[in-house]
Amino acid sequence: MKVRIKIFLLSAFFLMVPGMLQASGQTVTLPVEDYRAILQRLDALQQRVDRLEKEKVETRKLSKDIDEIYDTLDKVETKTIEDKLNIGAELRTRMDNFKVRDHRNMITGKEEDLSNDNFWSNRFRLNLSAKVIKGLDFHGRLTVYKNWADSDRYVMYSDPNRAHVPDDTTLKLDRAYIDWVLPHSPVPVALTIGRHPSTEGPPLEFKENRKRQSTYPALLFDGEADGIVMTFGLERYLGLKNSGLRLAYGKGYQSDDDKDIYLDERGGIDDLDVFAAFFETELPRIPGSLLVLSYVRGDNFVDTPLGATRNLGDMDLFGIHVQATNVVDSGLDLFLSWGLNNSHPNGKFAYMSVGKDPSGQAINAPMGLLSSDGEHDRTGWAIYAGLRYTLPMALLNNPKLGFEFNHGSKYWFSFTQGSTEIFNKLASRGDVYDFYYIQPVNRYLFLRTGYTWIDYDYSGSGWHIGQPFRIDDKFSDFYVLIDCRF
Amino acid sequence: MKSIVILSLLFVLVAGSVSWSAGRDLFVAKCGECHKKGGSAVVINPADKAAVVWKKYFKRRRHPVDFSSSISDGQLEEILKYLEEHAADSDQPAEAVIPK
Repeated sequence: MKVRIKIFLLSAFFLMVPGMLQASGQTVTLPVEDYRAILQRLDALQQRVDRLEKEKVETRKLSKDIDEIYDTLDKVETKTIEDKLNIGAELRTRMDNFKVRDHRNMITGKEEDLSNDNFWSNRFRLNLSAKVIKGLDFHGRLTVYKNWADSDRYVMYSDPNRAHVPDDTTLKLDRAYIDWVLPHSPVPVALTIGRHPSTEGPPLEFKENRKRQSTYPALLFDGEADGIVMTFGLERYLGLKNSGLRLAYGKGYQSDDDKDIYLDERGGIDDLDVFAAFFETELPRIPGSLLVLSYVRGDNFVDTPLGATRNLGDMDLFGIHVQATNVVDSGLDLFLSWGLNNSHPNGKFAYMSVGKDPSGQAINAPMGLLSSDGEHDRTGWAIYAGLRYTLPMALLNNPKLGFEFNHGSKYWFSFTQGSTEIFNKLASRGDVYDFYYIQPVNRYLFLRTGYTWIDYDYSGSGWHIGQPFRIDDKFSDFYVLIDCRF
Repeated sequence: MKSIVILSLLFVLVAGSVSWSAGRDLFVAKCGECHKKGGSAVVINPADKAAVVWKKYFKRRRHPVDFSSSISDGQLEEILKYLEEHAADSDQPAEAVIPK
């Protein structure tokens, strides 16, 4: 600005002086050199004026360009925020070499051995997530899980395990739910509605080499479930980090009329309603730890969800789960889980097929709730403990070694029908030893190899019906899998 | 009976969570004076931008015209609150409060 004023004044001076002098009748004579110097000076000043004018135009253009860039950025940012759905995928290929020893054949009555030295399966998962708005999130998972070249269907294919037992190539809805934080609640409350993240809960994330996948400890509840969960944040009231109380409602069986789409068939069978409460917190002074106290109540168990004929009674389940990761920076992860179930049969039972005799006739046996006659309350329990150690070997991408043990008593039962363990090991009425080694290849790919040994003590593992009887089956499985997630 | 209790509880919680802003009238009166069909500036609506984009827009003072003489700081805050609550990524996006 100062330069422009100087130019203006100087120019004015040179323009005005001759006029003024002429007006007064005087003539100024300048040496040629001075005159040329003045002209050169004028010329330089003119060039400077031109340059400044050009810069002014360019600055105006630049400012306009910046405005345009901002407008474009606004549109891109708004579009990005509106494109809510994030998609991820997982692929797992697994080979099992398993053997069952001393398995009692229900037809021949003799004990036999079964084995398969290379049994292959694939599991594909499509993971979806969206931050819909602040306080409203969506999560979904679609799964195809199949044995190689398998054309028939698993006999107990049912609602809690649709995406967790091998089937055909159709996508199964593993989970689809919203987490909604109620915005004006005096107490922090979140609602989780839909098909829930109720599979692969703690401590399975250690063996699965991933983040926690479920809110419920796996020993007590590991199955796909539709329901509503209300979570109360209690950290500010209790002073315990990450503490909260979850109240859950769902159904283990819902009576419907297959002829009329969805209406209750009113066949005299009550729904199996499931109510649950979970309190969880991080343990004081143990960062990364987790304590979960669980209570699950199942009202009106049915004989079988695949064609229910009657209700058999109710059951209570209790659980305590505690785990800690990277204990005192040692690379060691530990967990201990305990469960207890207590049945309250209603005195009813149903005759159900348990096999065929040598002549091909069905063998039917009476089945009540954890008994044959449905007259006796039963109590079962289970314990599940284990550790995982991350080897400090950076050259090998810090592989992990794990060991797990679980034991289930004669009457042990819990909701683990959707277990990702292909033999539902946590339902076992007997002893289970499980070793594994995880070899990370890179951020997205890892290999796992392991050995599982199950020594069954009683029959009916995973079933809520019938009187368990002594068996001597032994199961062993050596496997290797490759898992890719991105 | 249990189901009815659960549903009732749910309804009460949901109903209690619904809210709305009083900034609508202010937005229409103040911004709509110029940003209207046939007006001196293009029509705008809260759903034209995401909430965070609106926030940054005013933080960077990008409005090409100085409106400080007609909109006070308090009124601007109220308008911005309304814009954010009804932005493109909000749960109640307002696309045509000012007719297009």
